[in-house]
Amino acid sequence: MYNDKNSKKIVETIQNWARSHSVWVLAYGTGCGAIEIAPTMTSRYDAERLGFRGAATPRQADVMLITGYLTVKTVKRVVRVYEQMQSPKYVVGFGSCTINGGMYYDSYNTINLLDRYLPVDVYINGCMPRPEAVIAGLAKLQQIIREGKANGAEKYLENLEWYKENQRKIAPNWIAKAPDLNW
Amino acid sequence: MKEIKDKMIAQINAAFPEAVNKAYDGNRLDFTVHKDAIPGFLSHMKDQLGFRHLSHIAYVDWIEENEFELVYLLWSPTDKVKLFVHTRIDRENPVMHNIDMIWRQANTYQREIKEMLGIDFPDMVAPDEFILEDWDDIPPFRRDFDTLEYVNRTFWHRPGREDAQDVRETISKRSGEEIPDFAKKYSR
Repeated sequence: MYNDKNSKKIVETIQNWARSHSVWVLAYGTGCGAIEIAPTMTSRYDAERLGFRGAATPRQADVMLITGYLTVKTVKRVVRVYEQMQSPKYVVGFGSCTINGGMYYDSYNTINLLDRYLPVDVYINGCMPRPEAVIAGLAKLQQIIREGKANGAEKYLENLEWYKENQRKIAPNWIAKAPDLNW
Repeated sequence: MKEIKDKMIAQINAAFPEAVNKAYDGNRLDFTVHKDAIPGFLSHMKDQLGFRHLSHIAYVDWIEENEFELVYLLWSPTDKVKLFVHTRIDRENPVMHNIDMIWRQANTYQREIKEMLGIDFPDMVAPDEFILEDWDDIPPFRRDFDTLEYVNRTFWHRPGREDAQDVRETISKRSGEEIPDFAKKYSR
């Protein structure tokens, strides 16, 4: 019974509903946007009432917030952290730096387009986005999880070659030494 | 302060006649020294004149004169005097003496200079990479390094910046305010 198509769909719907109400966010600040996470999570805006809470390690987390600019050095670590996370996993790009480079678009050591290196499910624009915007973005993430459209991790696996090629372009020696998806 | 400074200048001139002094107000002393005299000059300053602290090593790229300049910023906590020691290095063959046996923290500054400006310190012991990883272009703080060209080659741009306006000009056009002459050169 479990294997027939309709039952599967029902199970998936229930799973997605449950996932959307327990989103654990990796407490890993990569840029200046990390400063907005503290008020979002603490009593002033209290994101935990909506089901978001911090997770201590990548293996326990569902969402990675990329909070702001990423230097070439940070991209390597972020890729490593992302590959350590267990499915289901989502990436939220936070701030204009992740969208188009922001004010650092002509800097030699910060990347411009995050979605060339990692699959991004939701973007939150602004420089900086206020905690309200962060919560709106996370609520949007909840919505697409419920609809079953937050499939960034699958996209990453399907187009692994393309993502790896882009990562290799900025970090040639490091990616060559790294194991593929096996941190 | 004036007496302390004059006394110090006399002492430095006696010990290093070839060091060129430049007068400054306040508690600043300023000397230009040949690059081969730098280790001896700095250790003399530290041991004899009380400049116990190395604050920073600043660097300038004089591309027009085909030279690099290093500025050693020293501080004397007892006399409250700061000493700037300038030296010039040939840009074609950028090699400089190591001073991390005088101040340990110089090692960090020299690693930064080696990576960002490409000045070599042959007898310095330090790991290879400091700030940049996997860097295969010319050092990025040299003035002939074209940042935008590098970015266009290495990263991607998302369309949408083409109609970006100059902030100063847009505001002055809207409010009818004139841009002062000294500010015009900063407009795009």
